[in-house]
Amino acid sequence: MSAYVLEMKGITKTFPGVVALDDVTLSVEKGTVHALIGENGAGKSTLMKILNGVYTATKGELFLEGQPLHLQGVRDAQEKGISTIFQEFNLINALSVAENIFLGRFEGKGQIKWNRINRKARELLEKLGFNFDVSKPVGKLSTAEKQLVEIAKALSYDAKIIVMDEPTSSLTKKEIELFFPIIEKLRKGGITVIYISHKLDEIFHICDRVSIMRDGKLVGESLVSEITRERIIELMVGRSMEMEYPARTASPGEPVLEVKNLTREPLLHDISFTLHKGEILGIAGLVGAGRTELAETIFGAAVADSGSIEINGKAVSIRSTMDGKANSIGMVTEDRKETGLVLDMSVTRNITVTKLDEVTTGIVLSKQKEGEVASEYVQKLNIKTPSINQTLYNLSGGNQQKVVLSKWLFSNVEILILDEPTRGIDVGAKYEIYCLMNELTEQGKSIIMISSELPEVLSMSDRILVMHKGMIKGELTGAKMTADNVMQLAID
Amino acid sequence: MNRTRVIDIIRSNGILLVILLLIIVTGITERNFLTVGNLLNVLRQVAVVGIVACGMTYCIIGGAFDLSVGSVVSLAGVITILNINAGTNEYVAVAYGLLAGVATGVINGTLISLINGRSSEAFIVTYGMQVVVASIALFPSNGLFIAGRVSDGFFKSLGQGFMPIVIFLGIATIMQFVLMKTKYGRHMCFIGSNMDVAKMSGINVKLNRISYFALSGLLAGIGGIVLCSRVTSSNPTAGLNYEMDVIAAVVVGGTPMSGGKGSVYRTVVGAVIIGIMSNALNILGITAYHQQIVKGLLIIAAVAMDILNKQISLREMTHAKVYVG
Ligand SMILES: Nc1ncnc2c1ncn2[C@@H]1O[C@H](COP(=O)(O)OP(=O)(O)OP(=O)(O)O)[C@@H](O)[C@H]1O
Ligand SMILES: [Mg+2]
Repeated sequence: MSAYVLEMKGITKTFPGVVALDDVTLSVEKGTVHALIGENGAGKSTLMKILNGVYTATKGELFLEGQPLHLQGVRDAQEKGISTIFQEFNLINALSVAENIFLGRFEGKGQIKWNRINRKARELLEKLGFNFDVSKPVGKLSTAEKQLVEIAKALSYDAKIIVMDEPTSSLTKKEIELFFPIIEKLRKGGITVIYISHKLDEIFHICDRVSIMRDGKLVGESLVSEITRERIIELMVGRSMEMEYPARTASPGEPVLEVKNLTREPLLHDISFTLHKGEILGIAGLVGAGRTELAETIFGAAVADSGSIEINGKAVSIRSTMDGKANSIGMVTEDRKETGLVLDMSVTRNITVTKLDEVTTGIVLSKQKEGEVASEYVQKLNIKTPSINQTLYNLSGGNQQKVVLSKWLFSNVEILILDEPTRGIDVGAKYEIYCLMNELTEQGKSIIMISSELPEVLSMSDRILVMHKGMIKGELTGAKMTADNVMQLAID
Repeated sequence: MNRTRVIDIIRSNGILLVILLLIIVTGITERNFLTVGNLLNVLRQVAVVGIVACGMTYCIIGGAFDLSVGSVVSLAGVITILNINAGTNEYVAVAYGLLAGVATGVINGTLISLINGRSSEAFIVTYGMQVVVASIALFPSNGLFIAGRVSDGFFKSLGQGFMPIVIFLGIATIMQFVLMKTKYGRHMCFIGSNMDVAKMSGINVKLNRISYFALSGLLAGIGGIVLCSRVTSSNPTAGLNYEMDVIAAVVVGGTPMSGGKGSVYRTVVGAVIIGIMSNALNILGITAYHQQIVKGLLIIAAVAMDILNKQISLREMTHAKVYVG
């Protein structure tokens, strides 16, 4: 019997106009946590979708514990012991935890034995070291708890392999700390985990081996203990990268935006701050501290109960997103699928929507102008797509994120609010985006950046506000901008 | 490649192909079916439903729909004829009729926008308005038919000869242009696809949505007036069940009920196809009652096709359901 629990040999997958995977061979040892990393669009998710039965490979073979593996679909893969925790959960919000775990597999003839199902569900969660009400509807759970339910579901199928595609990208720092021990438990239980992430720290923290992909090919493989962060980045992006963050090139000027005593019960209390021309103002804080709500209120997606906003010294009334845009404010939202993009429209249409007047001749939308704009941003942000008319569904997660950014870059607003702008974006592309932020501020534009990634806030901000329970708890400048200081202010 | 193309075409136009088959069969068996005269006749018959269906297409693409159009057809006719009979200037009388339609639409749109309603709320609100408007149309004449004292002129010309066809195709052309080529149309697709994305892109979702209902009301008003002009009288129940024929035209044409995409031209095709089908069934000697059954089944089939289609394409780009970062 082979030492590998899983072998994927010579996998090739093509889509119209795209070679997503080109002769990839991946071998995974039993009971390890195997990291899979690579640039946006490198083919990580596609490779995993071949493993879990979503796609069939154009060419290549799969072996599970040495036996050839042919998959009929997602359910078939699950039953054979391969489960996937997608970033978008496959759970039904209205059903209970237990029902979700055993969906479609209720035993008993005619009458469902709820007691047994609930007990089994509880046992599974206990195995993971958790204990919560299994009759609660999934819709009431936090993201982290939903993830647990997904893992419990995988265990209920006796999973041999659990694939996790960017599992921590929407978890809070605290939740992530609780998440790692779960992976440890899985490994101890002999379960193999394939772990996709753009956060290199995590790889070094919990993974045993790492496979690195670029442009649909496997370009490197190593024990995590035998490779450096720099080497991984070099393999990923194809060149060596001295720094992950560029130095700030612009310096703040006179005030552009003054927020005074902004209150929106019960989320925001008495918030005052100033944003300067050419400044990047970082807003840190824990999830739930009110950062997104503050951004929404400034942009006009929600209306404040009291307080005022001044732009360039003049009081403005912002009561809708139209007002926000009219005052040259734009906002890159944190959830690209719910509020950022229409996934079944093309790249072009999603980019131009914020400023259609710019691509209109008379009253007619100009296909040519739209195309030029889209091509410009596809090039500028290096968006990986076979054509500007490609539907967004078919783009990788990170490349979708680049489209959300493009849409607001194109709108050319003076004040840009970025809510978790680099979520799901690879190291190399992040650097490009930081450079772009520098470029914008050099042109005299101002940026408010909300981010849960501390290094990002610390490196790119000129000044940091830390929010806590709907209030600004502190402001950090210059040498005071350290991780410790931020965390101290962010927690109770 | 080629084979999948053919399958694609069949899949996305399934209903149209079935009806096309019916037309070909009837055309072969009945000599006077596929004649220019008969086809113009069909076009004239479907013009009113078609005009109203153009407005419905906007509502559906914008992510809602409008059940009140049938009542508006009745009301606009009643108001116009009453005014003409009272000696009001014809143009003014027509304007009153249209105003009634727009007003109904604005009320619909405002209510739905206020509660941030989606399709299901639009169903309730516009159904309520349908009932209200239908009874308002009954008051003035106690529910009786009113003969119009109409002389030759502007009003009378609206329903005569080729005029209904010209109005229908004219409106459809303009609306198709606005939908495909202007900012207003693009915003409509965004609003219908995902209202939150539209809002966060700085689009005036509320005002735009009100405008779809206002337009739908206006077009139902035009439809009602053309209908009255054709028969130079008004019947307060003239528009009864119109909304069903109208929605049928949109859906059979292939604009999905889920919103975000579609085309006015497809609705024209849908309306004409349904007209030709009724005509073919008439010629084949099938009674009106049986025709209703066929029409009902047709709507179900069209919606089912639409859903099936979506499921197939969902499976193809499984991303939608099990999309990974
Ligand atoms: N259904 C599809 N149709 C067409 N192209 C696709 C499809 N799915 C993926 N692709 C393309 O295949 C390539 C690999 O995509 P994949 O999602 O595997 O990238 P990824 O490595 O997961 O990237 P990310 O880090 O951004 O999530 C991309 O160029 C993507 O555009
Ligand atoms: Mg991915």
